[in-house]
Amino acid sequence: MDIPSRLRLVFVCVLLGACTAAPTPQPLAVARIGYGGSPDTLNPGTAVLTEAYTMFALVYDSMYTYNLDGTYSLSLAESVDRSADGLSYTYKIRSGIKFHDGQPLTARDVAFTYNLNKAHAEYPYMNPYTAYMESITAPDDTTVLIRLNAAIPNIESQLVFQYVLPAHVWQAHADGAAAVEFENETLIGSGPFKLLEYKQGEFVRLGANKQHFSRPPKVDEVIFQTFSNPDALVQAISTGQVDMITELPNTAAEKLGQTQNVKVASAAPFAPAVSDIIFNQATSESCPSEAACNGNVALQDRQVRLALAHATNKQQLIDVVLLGKGTPGLTLIPNGLGMWFNDSLKDYEYDPAKANKILDDAGYLTYEGDIRCAAVDCVYGSPQMNFRMYWPSDSVDAPRMAELLAGMWQEIGVGLQPQAIDPDALTALCCPAFDFDIMLWGWGSDPDPNLLLNVMRTESIATGSSETGYSNARYDALYDQQVVELDQTKRKDLVWEMQRVVHEDVVYIIPYYDMQVQALRTDRFTGWIVDQPKLDLSDVSSLVNITPVK
Amino acid sequence: MQAGRLLLRKAWSALLTIGFVLVLNFFLFRVLPGDPARAGIKDPRMTRAAQAAIHARFGLDKPVLNCLASLNPLRRGPCLVSPLQTQFFIYINNLLHGELGISFHTKIPVGELLRARLWNTAVLLSAGQTLAIVLGVAGGVLAAWQAHTRIDYAALLTSLVAWSMPTFWLGLILLFWGSRYAGLPIGGQLTPGLAGASTGAQLRDAARHLVLPTLAQTIIYLAEYLLIMRSTMLDVLAEDYILTAKAKGLSTFQVLKDHALRNAALPIITIVALNLGFTVAGAIQIEAVFSWPGLGQAIFESVARRDYPVLQGAFLLLAVSVIAANLLADLLYTWLDPRVHAAP
Repeated sequence: MDIPSRLRLVFVCVLLGACTAAPTPQPLAVARIGYGGSPDTLNPGTAVLTEAYTMFALVYDSMYTYNLDGTYSLSLAESVDRSADGLSYTYKIRSGIKFHDGQPLTARDVAFTYNLNKAHAEYPYMNPYTAYMESITAPDDTTVLIRLNAAIPNIESQLVFQYVLPAHVWQAHADGAAAVEFENETLIGSGPFKLLEYKQGEFVRLGANKQHFSRPPKVDEVIFQTFSNPDALVQAISTGQVDMITELPNTAAEKLGQTQNVKVASAAPFAPAVSDIIFNQATSESCPSEAACNGNVALQDRQVRLALAHATNKQQLIDVVLLGKGTPGLTLIPNGLGMWFNDSLKDYEYDPAKANKILDDAGYLTYEGDIRCAAVDCVYGSPQMNFRMYWPSDSVDAPRMAELLAGMWQEIGVGLQPQAIDPDALTALCCPAFDFDIMLWGWGSDPDPNLLLNVMRTESIATGSSETGYSNARYDALYDQQVVELDQTKRKDLVWEMQRVVHEDVVYIIPYYDMQVQALRTDRFTGWIVDQPKLDLSDVSSLVNITPVK
Repeated sequence: MQAGRLLLRKAWSALLTIGFVLVLNFFLFRVLPGDPARAGIKDPRMTRAAQAAIHARFGLDKPVLNCLASLNPLRRGPCLVSPLQTQFFIYINNLLHGELGISFHTKIPVGELLRARLWNTAVLLSAGQTLAIVLGVAGGVLAAWQAHTRIDYAALLTSLVAWSMPTFWLGLILLFWGSRYAGLPIGGQLTPGLAGASTGAQLRDAARHLVLPTLAQTIIYLAEYLLIMRSTMLDVLAEDYILTAKAKGLSTFQVLKDHALRNAALPIITIVALNLGFTVAGAIQIEAVFSWPGLGQAIFESVARRDYPVLQGAFLLLAVSVIAANLLADLLYTWLDPRVHAAP
């Protein structure tokens, strides 16, 4: 090559920048998560689905963090002072926090958010969290002052899910219908992840906020992809199309656990949940106006419910229905609620002979065929103990449970008429209509026990929150005490006593507490948190912890 | 002139049917038990006050019609309200203004939601239907021409097996096979996060996502087309004019194409048109297996959530598609078979 040619080559190289050894760009570390749903909306005020709240927890910050060990820690606030009467809280907000669009997050944004939630009764979940708040003000950029109308023991649970919104974005949508119609498509928050792309019903793509004040993620992106059936989810993780799945059928757990590079983890669910066998105990006295209240009268008798409890083999239910992925249930407050769960109660042991004796002793001695008469003084035309048992048709576990219960209870002369019903139609039959005998359903709840305890109050019968129609004045009095008891130990004693009362009255049979079962790939990312009392691999704690496998 | 009158009569009848569907759509979903404010969700946080506020926001606090507060449970309401303050007339009024409302569940305008979902469904269906029609018709012609030979028996047996397979089962088998042995994607229509990639890469990715659902759909529909084509073709091939065509010395291809196929095509055209109308509802099962965000999935989710605006909009769209497809089939029939003109 002659000199001019070389010069020409150098010239072209300089122009194009192509002759220097350009550094190879690092591929982005993208964690792909498969799940079964999709956010219903990105507006935290109007959202109701769990999938939406998963996104909010990743994209927003709130005053507290709810940890995988069931405790709370301060998040946006660096300190809190409670007044002696428990009626006012002063939070000091950290300085230097920024929203994803670069605007600073101040105490005024916090106060704006709480006031927004308080102003909108049509925010189904956020508004009740402000029920005890009389006023929320921000005297300066780092101070939030909350005044309550009653001293409550659980301010953390009232604030932990109230995600702090940017006032500069929401101000224009804060009033009237605009607050519920605002689609919030940019989802600007201050959390460890920020929204990059969203297609309702398809996927949510989040980018890392590496400047997050406390939990900067180590990955670059997290993508949540919707799969509309569980078989596809299982197949997606076994073939490496996703790195983690948030749910899987228990039947697939064993096989999936044997798949190369796939680990199946199980523990108590992060969000407390409970399954229950519900007895309609609504009487003519407690029946709300316009309600049917046509439950089988035998279920109003505690001895009948007690006999059913003794005739229920919970271990068999766990082994068959959950394939072992559960623990025996005891009270409506699940073990996932930590200290609030009364584990000192002794469960009714499985003993069909004892169950038969209880019914015999109670006077239910007349049979028609194999089924007992539902009345002690049985006459022609008296109802039988042949109960209508309903469950929501989207339940995977309930059909098997109903079949097993039918077999177990047959041994004590109790028959069942099992029927799956559309969830919405079942809600209409349930409460406050009380148009059923027995239902198999369950509850999701907050980390604080208050919401689940409320379900069994007399006041809840008319509002539709009570699904049993149970009414007990002592229980109601205990509820009123615990709701204002500021001493946590004393409150725990009250909550435990309430569980003892309903356990003795056999208001429900709690068959089991099912475990959260999730699966992850070990060949793509490490650091998934699987050793805590609770499990949620799509929680912030896990997702900010994972790193790509080298 | 006669054709024009026929067209007018058919169009008028189609319009009447759409009007009937509009009214039926409103009442159909309100007869279902349940409450859109709760949408099948059981949560102690959903207070009665919140439900009342949601009812007001959705306009469900207004009576369904004068003297009728709700349909399920059936409750009487005030009779002296302005009709324009009843749910039914608000619905009709909005429709006349071209508004389908806002989805209760996703808060997205229904028109926008249905447009996106319909496009996704159309993409999915066009590939599957086209393949099924081409292969089904060709297979049917071949089977009929080779009637009672091994080719015919093989085609018949394969079609009957394919037609008998439950769609979701076939979908799942393809899902397992495709993801494990062919490395094909099994969810959605594009790999999430590919927005920044080149157009070529996106097209390739979209094509890979289409393979399995298209295959499932092709197998199911191909069987139907093949069986009908074979049966009609066998009838036609037994006609005297086919014998005449053969006697004239025409080639097999010419006999099939020019004399048999055109006469045998009438039932296929009807079936294709009707199928196209119905499949706008979305191949619900295929969409569910392959997580395809189409119209069928939207309808399925909306029924569970009692999302009245989406259901009303989707059923209207479905009805219009079926009616339009019927009209199209009628017109095609008239064009292909002039004897239809003579019918009263």
